[in-house]
Amino acid sequence: MASSRVLTDRILRKYGTVIAGLLVIIAFSALSPDSFATAGNFITITRQISFLVIISIGATLVMSVGEFDLSVGAMASLGGVLAAQLAVAGLPMAAAFTLPLVVALAIGLVNGWIVTHFRVLSFITTLGMGTILGGLTFWLTGGATVFENIPRSFRYLGQTSWGPIPLLSIWMLTVTVVFWYVMNQTAFGRRLYAIGGNEQAARVAGVRVNRNKMAAFALCAMLAALTGMLMASRLGSAHPTGGDGLFLQAYAAVFLGMTAFKEGVPNIWGTFTGAVILGVLANGLTILGVPTFMQDIMTGAIVIAAVILQRFGRGRE
Amino acid sequence: MERLRTEGLGKRFGAQPALSGVSIGILPGEVHALVGENGAGKSTLIKMITGVYSVDEGRVYWENEPVTIRSPYDASALGIRVIHQDRQLIPSFTGYENLYLGQRYPVSGIARGVRWKEMKARGDALKASLGIEMDLSREAKDMSPSEKTMLEILRAMMDECKLLILDEPTAALTDREAEKLFALIGRLVKQGTSILYVSHRMEEIFRLANRITVLRNGRHVGTVNRDETSRDALVRMMTDAAGPPAESGRRGRARGEAILKVNGLSTEDGKVRGASFTLHKGEILGLFGLAGAGRTELLEAIYGLRAIREGTVEFAGAPLAPSPAFCLAKGIVLIPEDRRGSGMIAGMTIRENMSLPVLDRFASFFRLNHKRERREVGRQMEALQVKATGMDQEIRELSGGNQQKVVFAKAIMSEPAVFLCDEPTQAVDIMTREEIHRLLAGKAEEGCGIIFVSSDLQEVLDVADRIIVMRDGQTVAEMENEGVTAERVLSVCYRSNGEES
Repeated sequence: MASSRVLTDRILRKYGTVIAGLLVIIAFSALSPDSFATAGNFITITRQISFLVIISIGATLVMSVGEFDLSVGAMASLGGVLAAQLAVAGLPMAAAFTLPLVVALAIGLVNGWIVTHFRVLSFITTLGMGTILGGLTFWLTGGATVFENIPRSFRYLGQTSWGPIPLLSIWMLTVTVVFWYVMNQTAFGRRLYAIGGNEQAARVAGVRVNRNKMAAFALCAMLAALTGMLMASRLGSAHPTGGDGLFLQAYAAVFLGMTAFKEGVPNIWGTFTGAVILGVLANGLTILGVPTFMQDIMTGAIVIAAVILQRFGRGRE
Repeated sequence: MERLRTEGLGKRFGAQPALSGVSIGILPGEVHALVGENGAGKSTLIKMITGVYSVDEGRVYWENEPVTIRSPYDASALGIRVIHQDRQLIPSFTGYENLYLGQRYPVSGIARGVRWKEMKARGDALKASLGIEMDLSREAKDMSPSEKTMLEILRAMMDECKLLILDEPTAALTDREAEKLFALIGRLVKQGTSILYVSHRMEEIFRLANRITVLRNGRHVGTVNRDETSRDALVRMMTDAAGPPAESGRRGRARGEAILKVNGLSTEDGKVRGASFTLHKGEILGLFGLAGAGRTELLEAIYGLRAIREGTVEFAGAPLAPSPAFCLAKGIVLIPEDRRGSGMIAGMTIRENMSLPVLDRFASFFRLNHKRERREVGRQMEALQVKATGMDQEIRELSGGNQQKVVFAKAIMSEPAVFLCDEPTQAVDIMTREEIHRLLAGKAEEGCGIIFVSSDLQEVLDVADRIIVMRDGQTVAEMENEGVTAERVLSVCYRSNGEES
């Protein structure tokens, strides 16, 4: 029965993370059928994880070329603050939500340019950039939350629902599908994966490594800014460090996602699954009354355990 | 009494003997040179003497006692030190600190603090005793290549060193720096240290060595006294003089117009220093040189992977921008030497690897046309008879030969006019090797120009229409492959610079 064991192994390795996620959902449903396992709560979860999903997909792009962007949290904070301030300044909403994306595009290109042109480790470059962005945000706001005189229309994106479905959830699904398409159905996506797989071999095969990497950094920064703007819109205010906390969670989602579908490779559905698992855990544990600090401890342990299990499975090959 | 003696030393890797029947003796105070072509077994022999490889056949004697050297630690306990071609120093440590790598640090009292003064004094004393002038308080990364060599020799001398093995020690040195090294070797020999000296450079060997051991294809051809031999005689020993002369390379192919012209090409890093040649349509141009002659670097410079300082590359009459993407678009493709490192993306499928250089051909608007991709990849896989479970198998699961076939299939996908092949048959089975030779011959017949680099001189003689020889980053000779012998090619390789060709 060797072949059936090999098959089981393969299925477990590819879908183990998904199965674990489903088990978590079943467990919560059993423990609290009345509050967790309701349609309303599931829709709430999709809204709660929308920020995490979008910012993690950006991080996935940069990780797919073998780099890190540690400035995503600070970029999200800056994006939210910029959009809010522009709205307060009386710009039309379209401009208030577009200009921060342009700023993010520029910042992402600078990140990518420093990494590719000067060969500075992306870890260091984006750590520095994150600090710079944090300083900029503080300068812009004086350290205070932006909430006075924000027009009502600013909240449309974050607070409206289409029927029972929050607009935020639709944003999340759209971004996921679009970037799944980009990564899996376009030449650009294939090139990003090629660079992440073996940069030198990709270069020899004619891939323009530097500009593709810069594009990945740019898209990542724009998705981070979008996340920050949606958060600000949801809350009706922008806190100067509002997005910072997302950064570690985003990488937790990417790493969880790397254990699913494409083993060891950052991928969009994996990241989505990772973010869902993290979101379900947070939601379910809160419903069960587990204190936040305990949630953090459990989440961290689960990420590490998932990666160890995946290594373990590969080692047996 | 011989310091080190080997009797019938042999080593096999799998079924293949890498070394057999090597019996050499090294006397105290002798400089013993070890020569042979690439792959003759010099490194294997050194690794066996220094305990990196186990001994499969034969015996090793140290000062007339049979010994088993199980590890580099054992070797150094006997007094055997090796200085490798690539420097083994910690760049951010000072000279003194590097001297003490692998040594017990002198420490004091309960606090176990390092006694820097004592370290410094001992380093300076050693330096003085060997007549080396250098500042050991600088960090290794700020030292010149020759200072690094001196530092390594000093380190070797920290404990009693009875046999010093130098592997191509002058490879990175200028002539003046090499002089300093030779003077130092002279002083060491006077103290009674034995030296095993590995080099490609004949003039050094004739200047330093007392005796010379020649290896060929893993066999010990002979050991001769320096005064009783000549360079030509040594080259004859290194090549299979009894072997048949290479059959004529040209097989009725018509050589067409010039397609690639390289004029006085030099790279920023000095690995290529003024290379010039012309490649024609319909020919296989063999590029040969000893290890470190700059063959790989020349191909990389043409393909835009290595920064060019001066010189030009012309393709079909127009200057070539140095970038892989541009080269591919124009019709030049590189089959890189390092297959795993630059030839393929191990974690991707055969299909994804093969279509990478020509993705734009399958992209319409923002979508990849997978059907077309599969059709073209499938056709090319069939043409090259790649053995795999399918095009969606990951390339890392294939055998070396099949991986190389995929690399070739990928190259052919871009319909190139020029192939730059760097060791295209290394680590592939004999069948695949012949298939690759046939494939290249076929491409030449179709009118492609092919540059063929191989460390296996016989292979170059078998395959090439014309041969360019490189030495020290320069193209030094060009010959039609008609009745050319290995001996003739090697005699050019071993000639020193400045001598008339």
